Amino acid sequence: MTLALSVGVLAAGGVYLVLQRGMVRIVLGFVLLSHAVNLLLMSAGVTARREPPLMDTADPATAADPLPQAFVLTAIVIAFSITIYMLTLAVTRDEDDPEDAGTEPGAEPGTEPVGPSEERA
Amino acid sequence: MILPLILGVLVLTVVSTPLLDRMLGRNAGWPLAVVFAALAAAIGSLAPQVIGRGDTIEHVVTWMPSLDISVRLRMDGTSWLFAMLVVGIGALILAYSTRYFPPGRRTGFYALMTTFAVAMMGLVLADDVVLMFVFWELTTICSFYLIGLSGEKANRPAVRTFLLTAMGGLALLTAVVMLVVEAGTTQLSVILATVEWSDSPGWSAAVAALIILAGFTKSAQFPFHYWLPDAMAASTPVSAYLHAATMVKAGIYLLMRFTPIFGDFPVWNVTLITAGLVTAVIGALFALQRTDLKELLAYSTVSQLGLLVAIIGVGTPYALAAAALHTLAHALFKAALFMLMGVIDTRNGTRDIRELPGLRRAMPVTATLMTVSALSMAGVPPLLGFVSKETLFAAIADGPWTTPVTVVVATAAVGAAVLTFAYSFRMVHGAFWGEPGPSRDGEGSAAYLVGPGVAAVAGLGLGLAVPVLDPLVERVVLDTTTVEHTAHLALWHGFNVPLVMSMLAIAGGSVLAWRRVQVARAVERPLVPVKGTEVFEGVHRGIIGGGVRVGRLTGSNAPAPHLAAVLGTLGVVALTVMVLNPPVPQYPATTTRTADWLLVGLIVVAVVAVVVTRARLAAVALVGVSGFAVALWFLLLGGFDLALTQLLVEILTVVVAVLVLRRLPRKFHPVRRGRAALAGGVAVVVGLAAGLAAYNLTGRRDISAAGQYFLTNAEPETGGTNVVNTILVDFRALDTLGELAVLGIAGLIIVAVLDSARLNHGRLPEPVVALSGNPVFSAVQNSLIMRTVALRLGPVLTIWSLYLLLRGHNAPGGGFISALVGGAGFALAYLAASSAAKARIRLPFTLLIAAGVAIAGGIGLVGYVDDSYLRPLHAEIPLPWGGYYHFTTALIFDVGVYLAVVGVLLTALNRLGVEDDVHAEDARAGQPSTDEGDPDESDEADRLLDEHTVPAGHEGGAR
Repeated sequence: MTLALSVGVLAAGGVYLVLQRGMVRIVLGFVLLSHAVNLLLMSAGVTARREPPLMDTADPATAADPLPQAFVLTAIVIAFSITIYMLTLAVTRDEDDPEDAGTEPGAEPGTEPVGPSEERA
Repeated sequence: MILPLILGVLVLTVVSTPLLDRMLGRNAGWPLAVVFAALAAAIGSLAPQVIGRGDTIEHVVTWMPSLDISVRLRMDGTSWLFAMLVVGIGALILAYSTRYFPPGRRTGFYALMTTFAVAMMGLVLADDVVLMFVFWELTTICSFYLIGLSGEKANRPAVRTFLLTAMGGLALLTAVVMLVVEAGTTQLSVILATVEWSDSPGWSAAVAALIILAGFTKSAQFPFHYWLPDAMAASTPVSAYLHAATMVKAGIYLLMRFTPIFGDFPVWNVTLITAGLVTAVIGALFALQRTDLKELLAYSTVSQLGLLVAIIGVGTPYALAAAALHTLAHALFKAALFMLMGVIDTRNGTRDIRELPGLRRAMPVTATLMTVSALSMAGVPPLLGFVSKETLFAAIADGPWTTPVTVVVATAAVGAAVLTFAYSFRMVHGAFWGEPGPSRDGEGSAAYLVGPGVAAVAGLGLGLAVPVLDPLVERVVLDTTTVEHTAHLALWHGFNVPLVMSMLAIAGGSVLAWRRVQVARAVERPLVPVKGTEVFEGVHRGIIGGGVRVGRLTGSNAPAPHLAAVLGTLGVVALTVMVLNPPVPQYPATTTRTADWLLVGLIVVAVVAVVVTRARLAAVALVGVSGFAVALWFLLLGGFDLALTQLLVEILTVVVAVLVLRRLPRKFHPVRRGRAALAGGVAVVVGLAAGLAAYNLTGRRDISAAGQYFLTNAEPETGGTNVVNTILVDFRALDTLGELAVLGIAGLIIVAVLDSARLNHGRLPEPVVALSGNPVFSAVQNSLIMRTVALRLGPVLTIWSLYLLLRGHNAPGGGFISALVGGAGFALAYLAASSAAKARIRLPFTLLIAAGVAIAGGIGLVGYVDDSYLRPLHAEIPLPWGGYYHFTTALIFDVGVYLAVVGVLLTALNRLGVEDDVHAEDARAGQPSTDEGDPDESDEADRLLDEHTVPAGHEGGAR
């Protein structure tokens, strides 16, 4: 229940952010989404068993499922490398906005209230 | 063995064309014609076996055994007939081509003509529907290129022909797939023997429609007939071979082949007869309109193919006998007529009957041959065309219908025959019987006329000796209807209905010939208001335009519309499933603990705040908070390694994000209310779906068998007690290697992106000039504390990271974690540095990435000692102070992981943190730059810092 709640909240926040303008918010959205997915993977294991799978101390009959942990461990590192790659993309242009004003579907040209150049000051 | 040999020899002719062409130029046609004639003789020698004894020759070469697709070749009577046409007519046309073209090289032409022969031969010999489809498409492609050879004016016709016939090819492919699914085999003969249309009429109607579509497009039936005259942009040998005698017969072959399944299926009968007769009549009318001999012949081909389709549609044994005979007759007279038309064209520079003088004196041989062939086409005795047309009439008169239907069908067929007679007369009269005049270049040479001559004479000879064709016709009928049929082909059957129909056709045609002036005036006006090619172009433009409009919907570069569509759809689908409330098992034990709620609260606060905030730095920090909450989650769930990794990753993400943020505005773009509502809606849907799915669909079971296996066996098998680490480096090392490669590639892409697109200068440099006197703004002075901390902490972090690496197999640690700890040390050194130039960590980071992946991949090879890639080897190394150290090659694998991760981190720090001007300065000086005016004491600190962040020996290789 609690894990599912966390997954839902992180997924919602992540989706909201990836739908925004600006590469940085999109990247942060992806970070939240990867958190959600990692927790989802963990919840696929047996979350009632929470003893660390370190076999010098743990009992094989009660230790936590190591399989989702192995998945998630590599997933975290890969998500990290993708995150810094995407952050790189955010600074290869003068603005981090992938939507040029007016090309956004449904946007009427000129109705964008504040241009990025104005807020920079 | 003979069947693959035939195909093999044809392939050899293709391969030999470049050489022959280099040696002989246009005369390369002669040796090719000889080979084709020899093949015709070889196939002819099979006649006693195939036709006489009724054997079927088969040969199987395994092709894709896993899919049960083989190169199955099979020759029955029908295949024999079409194979003879391919090589027989092919030989004549290749010989003819040596004189049709002006002297010079014709590599493309001969190579494509022989390739086409391979395709056509493969098509008629294939006993596997997949193979048949492949050859079918190959004929389409050959046709496209052969038309295209005729230069720019042929471009659009070639494209139109290709698109239309390729559409038929797609229909055939669909039909093939449906048949294979139904019959469970790709073998054509088995499919034909086992599938019954009556088993499921709806399915059969669909397959029949697809086969008919394929056959109609290939054989130019109404309403697809227009491509054939369009394709006459090709040179005459191409037109004669492909678009008169053979390729257009592929559709006829297909329809004949599938007659065993559909021959008594009403949908099939009605469609084929109706479309065939409509095509026959309008084709003949168009032919009567034309003054260009080639166009006239093209429409005449359309008309004759219509008759063939109609008679196949009748589906009785008698009808199939007529179809076989008329296929042969048509191939002979139409090939001859096309070639002779080409002779007239090249000798006079025109083929328009209004411009040609009466050539009967100037070109007597051509005139004779053309008249003989035209008489065959018109159905005049004693030529083969007469017998075939009379058989055709007999089959219609004998049709399995009520009398009124028979009368209608018979009237249409006789009507087409009347028109055929009329345009045949018009052609011969127009070319030879006008005001006598000289031919511009005289009569064609013997070499030029041998091809059409043989075809024309064969039409006459076979007409006179028509009973010799009885066994062939009987065999084809047996192949296509599975009914024994006794044929009595003869010129004279006594006075009966078919003879009356023939006489009516000839009489009616004679009347039209007599009143030709009035007829010409009557058909002068366009018969239909639209041209097929214009309709095609309109549809084509419409499809392209529609595609452009559809594409424009997703043509935005902005990620949001794409993501919103995908995520929204996904969320709605998932949510629907969840709301439908699928039955799910109970949780085996309670999974929620009180402490969990704290983390949920923390995550909710962090996520809500990050959604609301407009400050970039705050957002990064808040995402970091959520990351720490997730790390704590991992800790609560028993994942020490995970928690540690997540924690370190959060720290390093913030470091990199800060490097990025300083180049960007302080605040995010403002969000319009509509957009926020839309994004919020999608987010809520996806969040609900994800949460409900996680709750309902995960964790409601006991531990997986694989998980339990690892818990029980990890230590005995690997000697490591940290199960998660053993999974990564022992059990699933190949996966980890793959992930390592992804990681390394991400690092290299960062380098590539930044090499091709310069970092933006955004807010740099900071506007601190006015305050430069203030010590707070002196980087060297205000970073002193940080540098002191880093100086002490650096070695600790380094040693700790090595310790984590070594113990990873047995306790929390391992390659990923130790590398992140080491990376944190580098990040600290970087942040503590007094300037960007000082901060440079002079390690060859791309080399580190490469070395990491290479070490991890390379150590896997050692595993081959014990039989398998990446299998770890173990050794107990005695220690000097007693006891043993358990060494495993998995540790070296982990070292590879370590190096690659550190390499990627250094890449990000160096490339994102360093200014372009530093790079530029480096390039000028050829050595690392130093800060000017740097106080001595800080130099000392920097030097010390350098000493432990930069191992000796790496300095030279930094850049």
